[in-house]
Amino acid sequence: MGKHTAIISNVWQRALGYRFTMYTYRIGELGETLLLVVMWTALFADRSIINGYTLKEMITYVLVGNLIGFITRNFLSELIAQEIKNGTLSIFLVKPISYFRYVLTREVGRVTLPFLMSLVSQLAIMLFFIDRLLFNKNLLTLGMMSIIIVLAFVIELLLGYLVGLIAFWTDEVDGLYTTISRLKKFFSGGYFPLAILPTSYLTISYALPFAYSLFVPTQLYLGKISLITAWKGIGVQCLWIVVLYAIIMLVWRRGIRKYEGVGI
Amino acid sequence: MPTIEVKNLSKTYEYYKKQPGLWNSVKSLFHREKLYTQAVKEMKFTINEGELVGFLGPNGAGKTTTLKMLSGIIYPSSGEAKVLGFTPWKRQAAFQKQFALVMGQKNQLWWDLPAMESFILNKEIYEVPDKQFKQNLDELLTLLEIKDIVDIPVRKLSLGQRMKCELAAALLHSPKVLFLDEPTIGLDVVSQKNIREFLKKYNREKKITIILTSHYMEDVEALCERVIIINHGSLIYDGGLSKLMDQYIDQKILEITFTEDVSRAQLEKFGVIKEYAPQRVVLEVPKEQTKNSAVRILSDLPVDDVLINEVPIDDVIRKIFTATK
Repeated sequence: MGKHTAIISNVWQRALGYRFTMYTYRIGELGETLLLVVMWTALFADRSIINGYTLKEMITYVLVGNLIGFITRNFLSELIAQEIKNGTLSIFLVKPISYFRYVLTREVGRVTLPFLMSLVSQLAIMLFFIDRLLFNKNLLTLGMMSIIIVLAFVIELLLGYLVGLIAFWTDEVDGLYTTISRLKKFFSGGYFPLAILPTSYLTISYALPFAYSLFVPTQLYLGKISLITAWKGIGVQCLWIVVLYAIIMLVWRRGIRKYEGVGI
Repeated sequence: MPTIEVKNLSKTYEYYKKQPGLWNSVKSLFHREKLYTQAVKEMKFTINEGELVGFLGPNGAGKTTTLKMLSGIIYPSSGEAKVLGFTPWKRQAAFQKQFALVMGQKNQLWWDLPAMESFILNKEIYEVPDKQFKQNLDELLTLLEIKDIVDIPVRKLSLGQRMKCELAAALLHSPKVLFLDEPTIGLDVVSQKNIREFLKKYNREKKITIILTSHYMEDVEALCERVIIINHGSLIYDGGLSKLMDQYIDQKILEITFTEDVSRAQLEKFGVIKEYAPQRVVLEVPKEQTKNSAVRILSDLPVDDVLINEVPIDDVIRKIFTATK
């Protein structure tokens, strides 16, 4: 067993130890998805198309989009800020593993289990709405979707990590984190498809990393954006990864000098 | 080459002044005054292989700050340090694989999982070969008597059991240098003794170099031949514990019980009265006069019993701390 497998194994074991938490999370997720479906069904009651979306497309957007959202989201910022604030970071600093890699591995572990769980519950709900769903069987599209999702996952991790590191200077990052989460939810199309908005908003959100965490892959699934746009998107994502990584290295190098390792 | 070498090591912390009250907190949103405190000043010492050295000093003296620099957790403001030939704050893996830090107030074990899972993770992180891991694990579990508890989630263990598991986790990769920051804090006397005995044995058998900070003088007395005393960030004593006692103690304690009542006035001429009851007294007398005083008291007063004791080490340390204020 390698370092990384061992870390993931521990995270999984920890999560499985708390059945109640695991089940209750699923209830919330199912509830939210169901409510979105109910809302859109109501809005479509007296018309068959809203801003170019049919009801079927909209329900597919909600269900597929949510599933993708589960993969890409993380709660890294708070975790890291806490470890910096209360000095737990010290434990990792003395070990022969980089904190960056440790944390990212831990997060992969933390995300994968709930994802598999969510997958089961979301698939169940999809099965329930099966006659209202659209299916995309184009392998190329699905392949590109996967690439975008994986890159989005990486970007979200880097972003979360970066925001967490701000705690070297401020101790807490709740304000910044919450602000970013709000913007993220909006710009990723978590509330509604961004296509509903004027084009200028859409252009902005294509340049930001957030749309790729939900909106872009879902649109791709629905066949509402071209493969060219998707390729460009992958380019934008790669650029963001490079930029974020560079900033993280810089911030870490400066921040770690400020670290005081309180609490021992 | 000494195992640990510290040269002119200093650390200054920055912090912001916070005046009391809500209004001052509001004002601090716009303007804050930056202040500095020098936690460690020009620290200098060397420690050789296999030594077990006690760091003593009151809270805030700079012990932990020094340990943090030697562990590579924080950067110094100036000065140098070498541990096993490495500069700790460069955090090279080759260094980190040879050292361990145990903090009495922070746990590295995964709270929700049995300690065994943390051990396995450490095995991977420190890249300990299977065979060596098994052997070390076996040895540590036996020495620390924790075979039965490593499968219980850490959060359900008592503080003493947890501390033992912490020690095992830290020693699985057979470090050459071990820093212990108050390993016995909050433990009951039995657990304290167990840990103390374990450390003594482990240090002797493995020739591991240990720095220990503790507020319990019993720990220090039992374990450390050499102590480094720090106060207000500066080193004020570095040497043998027994030499320290000789150097700082010029009194002995006479504990006398009488068969009849004896007045204070009759006793005052021999030394300082520490405790007094009509038929019992505790006297602090100058060391060189101990014998004379005892003889005179025995002949002049209705003595039932006399005990000649050393000044408790706690008192000595207290005296040194207050003297260097």
